[in-house]
Amino acid sequence: MKMHKEMNIKNLVLKNAKVWNGKSFEERKEVSFEQGKGLATEEFDCNGALVMPALFGLGVDFMEPLRDDVYTFADGLEALHRGGFCGALYESAANPIDDADKLSAMKFRVNSPDLEYNFANRFDIKFLGAYSKGFGSDSLAEMMELAEDESVAGFGDGGEAIPSTRFIRLAMEYGKMTGKRFFFQPMDKSLRKHGCVHEGAYSDMLGMKGIPRIAETIAAHTVLEMARFLQVPVHFKQVTCGETLDLVREARKKGIDVTCDVGLYHLLLDDSCLETLDSAYHILPPIRSAADREALWMGIEDGTVNAISMNHTPVLGQDTEVNFEDSVPGALALEIALPAIWKELSARVGEARAIELLSIAPAKLVGAKSAFDENTQKMANIVILDPNKPHEVSKKDFAGHVSNSPLLGKTLPSSILATFVSGVWTKL
Amino acid sequence: MSALQIKHLFGLQGVSKSDIRTILDNAKQFREILERPVKKVPSLRGMTVVNLFFENSTRTRTSFELAEKRLSADTVNFASSNSSVKKGETLVDTLRNIESMKIDIVVVRHKGTGVPKFLAEHSNAIIVNAGDGAHEHPTQSLLDMLTVEEKLGTLEGKKVAIVGDIRHSRVARSNIWGMTTMGAHVTLCGPSTLVPRNTELLQYKELAGSVSWETDVYKAVEDADAVIALRLQKERMDDALLPSMREYRNFFGITEKVLSEAKDKVILMHPGPINRGVELDSDIADGEHSVILDQVTNGVAVRMAVLYLLAGGRANENA
Repeated sequence: MKMHKEMNIKNLVLKNAKVWNGKSFEERKEVSFEQGKGLATEEFDCNGALVMPALFGLGVDFMEPLRDDVYTFADGLEALHRGGFCGALYESAANPIDDADKLSAMKFRVNSPDLEYNFANRFDIKFLGAYSKGFGSDSLAEMMELAEDESVAGFGDGGEAIPSTRFIRLAMEYGKMTGKRFFFQPMDKSLRKHGCVHEGAYSDMLGMKGIPRIAETIAAHTVLEMARFLQVPVHFKQVTCGETLDLVREARKKGIDVTCDVGLYHLLLDDSCLETLDSAYHILPPIRSAADREALWMGIEDGTVNAISMNHTPVLGQDTEVNFEDSVPGALALEIALPAIWKELSARVGEARAIELLSIAPAKLVGAKSAFDENTQKMANIVILDPNKPHEVSKKDFAGHVSNSPLLGKTLPSSILATFVSGVWTKL
Repeated sequence: MSALQIKHLFGLQGVSKSDIRTILDNAKQFREILERPVKKVPSLRGMTVVNLFFENSTRTRTSFELAEKRLSADTVNFASSNSSVKKGETLVDTLRNIESMKIDIVVVRHKGTGVPKFLAEHSNAIIVNAGDGAHEHPTQSLLDMLTVEEKLGTLEGKKVAIVGDIRHSRVARSNIWGMTTMGAHVTLCGPSTLVPRNTELLQYKELAGSVSWETDVYKAVEDADAVIALRLQKERMDDALLPSMREYRNFFGITEKVLSEAKDKVILMHPGPINRGVELDSDIADGEHSVILDQVTNGVAVRMAVLYLLAGGRANENA
């Protein structure tokens, strides 16, 4: 059920706003934005709230068509909308995009005029093609044809553990012809085995099977060696520990083209949450220790980390309302990411870097149009955030019929007031 | 109203010294009752206890069932092998269905860490953990503590060595929390593939100075007041965690020679069932230091005390 009022307008006039100018928030008594879809002019008093470029989401899975019982494109676009996003990199674990027909079907669904709420063509959705057929390790996907479509940002693994080293070599060797970046979630399958949480003091005392840091670093090292050998650009999704960031730093010194992101929840939480035994904290890759969390923040601060990703993974209630180890991992993030992290992020790295991490860098990484045009110094799509208005997260905040998030019931420090994306104005 | 601060027994982590003391003191009284010609008391008459076992168990389930019957409770056994769980019913649905039959206490064993706590969040029944994965097995630890007190007088200042597959042992974890709360020092010993990997464990401030690690079994049992040998499961060999039973026995088995490093009056315990000739040599399993059968008797008494106290009993009403 839609909880907000939206309209196509021509001109938006914001009063008493702090508007992002590319370097800082500038106090403006009145500022107008023209996007030109509708006819009306809308006025909104921001009461000192921040007006910033809309976000771009990495790590987004809307599950449709194979798991449309869980989540749909309509749900996902609604989530982007509520969270102040203007686009996303779509990568489905359930639906590998391994040929042009599947890509066409996905693009049609995202931009279908039949979509509820006038979402068609509102968001800039890029896709991650699969480098193998069905996220397997036997056959290559038709990467050349997929790469001809500009909506394909690169090739990825759908969050699967990295298959055989030989297959990765062949996939990257072939995929190199496309000039696209390869995206990996570094995880050594055999070291992970049945692990479901970070291998550390808490997993030891709770008797839960852990995933060691070396499951990530060994896989990352393999990918970096392959990238060095084949001269193919790579990206690490949802890095969870400082050791992997060290590998990234060293690789860059050697001239390897490697980028990386860190997941929202990996910055917000550490594995002490496991003591609650609450399956809401069942997230993969796993939430690691407080020291790891701090290492990720260091990577954010020193520029090693390129972007913050969402890892937006819907899970049915019946699959989360079980004991931790039997639950399906995953958490929703799009709707609550900005109000959850803005205050801490901007306090630690400054507002400019915070906007870069959430909006500009992720869009740039996948070749999407940024919500902030660096040439004109103007914002194309905006989100309005009151950083000091607390918001208690409830089920109705989430699109669709799922609400799996460890922040459910928690109070966030900030609130999103409104968005203006592709000419559509929405008060939330 | 429960006579304890806890409302359920999920584990011994975080359980206060006074609650453990109350359980052990009550268990001692029930232990005396078990020696009488008439071993039954009416403490839980009219109450229904469900033994909800999703994992195979003979000893623990029998011990609980006997404890429930000695307390005059109505007892129902539910095993996953012959239940609707086989037909795909969820854990919560199983519990809600059983609860609809107006039960009062659920004793649960499950392969998943935290299942007892999860069930308590979805039920009004009193939940008692009979073993959740490799997490905790609190009544086993309580009976171990009762046995130590019975034989040695107190846990305060005693050195307890736990030897074997610590990593997969819920008994070890409950004993780490329970015995250190009661003032004992616990030394953990096992092959490096079968002990928790993270010495960060010692960062738990509650355990600081009370737990130590050893890979040399002789050092682990040196001056020990009590030695607990853990059962070694044969599956560990299949998973490449150990080369052979033979090597395990030679380096980590409790033998007469190993036990000679401990104090003269050391007691030897085992949660059962024993692999004779592997974690324990047969002659010492039946020898003068062995208190393994006392543990079994104490298990019934401890479980009576737990059920009685959680159900709201008072120490001397029925004893």
